[in-house]
Amino acid sequence: MKRSTVLTEKNRGTWATVFAGLILLPVVLSLLKPLWAAEPDVFLEPADSRWESCLRDTEYMRFYHMDLLKEAREDVVRAGKKGGITLAGCGDCHQNRDLFCDRCHEKASVSLDCWGCHYYLTQEELQELEGHGGGGE
Amino acid sequence: MDRRDFLKRSGAAVAGASGILSLHVLNSCAPEVAEAESPLAGTKWGMVIDLNRCREGCTACMEACRQENNVAFHGDRRWDVHWIRKATLHPTDDSAGREEKEVILMCNQCDDPPCAMVCPVQATYRRADGIVLVDHHRCIGCRYCMIACPYNARFFNWKENPDWPNKEYPRRSHGVAESCHFCAHLIDGGGRPACVEACEGVGARALIFGDLNDPESEVSRLVAAGGATRIRADFGTKPKVYYLGL
Repeated sequence: MKRSTVLTEKNRGTWATVFAGLILLPVVLSLLKPLWAAEPDVFLEPADSRWESCLRDTEYMRFYHMDLLKEAREDVVRAGKKGGITLAGCGDCHQNRDLFCDRCHEKASVSLDCWGCHYYLTQEELQELEGHGGGGE
Repeated sequence: MDRRDFLKRSGAAVAGASGILSLHVLNSCAPEVAEAESPLAGTKWGMVIDLNRCREGCTACMEACRQENNVAFHGDRRWDVHWIRKATLHPTDDSAGREEKEVILMCNQCDDPPCAMVCPVQATYRRADGIVLVDHHRCIGCRYCMIACPYNARFFNWKENPDWPNKEYPRRSHGVAESCHFCAHLIDGGGRPACVEACEGVGARALIFGDLNDPESEVSRLVAAGGATRIRADFGTKPKVYYLGL
């Protein structure tokens, strides 16, 4: 068999370093990423004093709001119970859907189809509505 | 333990475990609200439509329904949705001598609703108080309910409603079926259906709404007095919309 001229006894160590470097490159890059790219803050909505009267604390709402909403949905649609939490109730404090809902869901690649039926506007739509001189609700 | 024994025993163990597991899963799939336990049980909402009082050409109930429930109107009969509508009955050979008549048609709120029976995802269902309604979150738009309904009372949303008159109430997105639900959201808040209010508003009082289980209610008395008929009661779907003067 013909001996390789690229990988020889002598340069074996160099090749090993190159391969190890290639494998570790993504890890190193991700560790160094904060140097040139700051992680965008997805929770962009400016804090509001009204948040204190929310159903639960902010941290809980961020991660478990869907459970509360689904529970409320079953109560209203299936059992006919009124007076629970509603999407419109969220809108009382968090007026812009794009800052409150869409931004996080876009980042997490969760597509919401709530807005085909439920009335909750984005900032743009709100401004458009006010521009026409009509109040929302 | 030889190989044969081991296989037998492990097989039995797996079968037993899966049996217990499937029982558990089946139990958790049982309907969320048992009918008797529901706070809505006890009432049975119904409507009496007095055609003698209904005014020809009046569309107050239909307009009120559209305003309250955001029912889609595109101006094209392929896509229009009607929860309550008027049709004209023409005399046929069998009914010769009778006059043409305008009749209000709507979901008959069957007590044995065929639409709910055929729904493959249980999106259409009958609530404990007898109201048949659609959970649009679950509807997959298969339109079996439209085929099953003997009253042609169900409609499909081919398009989203361009108007949104009542912001407090959701509209329906494209791809779900819908029909009248006696304004269940108003009843839950202690109110009455929008069409009934509108009919009283114009002073006709042709639509009378109430609890059929309560013998003192106006609907019960009108039904008990006789003369109230139901459309095609022979289908056995037990409709809860009664007609006077049909």
